[in-house]
Amino acid sequence: MNDFFQKLGELFTTPAYVESLWHGFLLTMQISFFAIIIGLIIGTIVALIDTAKPNKWLIVPKFISRVYTTVIRGTPMALQLFIMFFAIFAIRGFPQIITAILAFGLNSGAYTAEVIRSGIQSVDKGQTEAGLALGLSQYTIFKRIVAPQAIKNIIPALGNEIITVIKETAIVSMVGMYDLNQAAKDIGSGQNMSSYLVPMFVAALFYLAVVYFITFIIKRIEKGLRKSDLRS
Amino acid sequence: MISVHNLKKEFGKNKVLKGIDFELEEGERVVILGPSGSGKSTFLRCINRMEEPTSGKISFNGTEITDKNIGKMRQEIGMVFQHFNLINNLTVMENLILAPVILKIMDQPAAEKRARELLKHIDLSNKENAYPASLSGGQKQRVAIIRAMMLSPKILLFDEPTSALDPESIGDVLSLIRELANNGMTIMIVTHEMNFAKEIATRIVFIDQGKIIEEGKPSEFFAHPKTPRVKEFLDKVL
Repeated sequence: MNDFFQKLGELFTTPAYVESLWHGFLLTMQISFFAIIIGLIIGTIVALIDTAKPNKWLIVPKFISRVYTTVIRGTPMALQLFIMFFAIFAIRGFPQIITAILAFGLNSGAYTAEVIRSGIQSVDKGQTEAGLALGLSQYTIFKRIVAPQAIKNIIPALGNEIITVIKETAIVSMVGMYDLNQAAKDIGSGQNMSSYLVPMFVAALFYLAVVYFITFIIKRIEKGLRKSDLRS
Repeated sequence: MISVHNLKKEFGKNKVLKGIDFELEEGERVVILGPSGSGKSTFLRCINRMEEPTSGKISFNGTEITDKNIGKMRQEIGMVFQHFNLINNLTVMENLILAPVILKIMDQPAAEKRARELLKHIDLSNKENAYPASLSGGQKQRVAIIRAMMLSPKILLFDEPTSALDPESIGDVLSLIRELANNGMTIMIVTHEMNFAKEIATRIVFIDQGKIIEEGKPSEFFAHPKTPRVKEFLDKVL
């Protein structure tokens, strides 16, 4: 136990270790942030295509979006990352971070699409019918009635997806990127601290802190959105 | 006002309406009766195109109702649903003024003024800023009725307006409908409230297996049904 605290002291008093952790943490955050943004954009588009009333212009987009979600959700994230790194973007000098962001963004898009799709579809059909019966357009009905109610259903599941992405980015260490996970491994290796427990424990705390913070934010948003459910 | 010609509606292989011909004149109050699954709700819902007819023609004041003009038509043909369908994310006031303001029938102050008058009339002035979740079923349905009235429709369609209500609220909702009727509103209503049907209807239409099999004045319909099917139905429900 003494050893543990001694190592902990060593980690935080060695500037090179602190810097490594911090850089790793920043890379993890950068990849996660942009991947989540890309995932949201793709997810929203795919979900809108999926839930739109079928017509001849949407046959191809609907097919593509179905193939996309099926393939992404049906294959391991690590494999998708490898394909992006060693096949699609195997270009010398191409920034690794962009490849990683695209890989995680494309992956997250498929899950986000499902979250948004089910959120939209869980809005009672009667709500749309009420809008129609009042002579409102489909666009107005979506904007004023369906979307606000769907968001309430979407936010909690979206929070889960954001947390999943942040944690899942740890696998970029498999393609040699220096993220938080890799930093912990590096600091713990033989030529540095020669002990993995403490740096990995600290890395875990970093992940936990971020996840806890996001959970907190999501809860706050949920609470704000629930005001119309209250029986005052 | 409404003219329906050879209306058919199929859900896949299931033929729900098998050729309905029907005329509605201004000031009429038509009650549609029939066993469950007979197609009476579907018939009502085809009129304002909540359901797309498979074939046939429906006209309003001589103009055929199509996908193109349906938005305008729905402002003239109001609808009240079994499950009220108040918009959950909007307050009572917002529910009332949403359509008239967006459709530019009234500006917001005028719509709010009208909404307050109507709310006062149904004794729910204190619920102006409440969300639907905090209202009882009867209150929701009365708000839904005045929401339809906000657009000053020429016809009101009622799709089993009291079927989802407790017995005490049914009375409140029926008296509001009765009042509209007394003010000359043209009404089509699908209901299982036989006494109300008898009292309010100027004409009863009986639908069974997707067809109108009998229609007439309530006094004759209930006292001297012409077809055995209607006799059997009335024996069971009265």
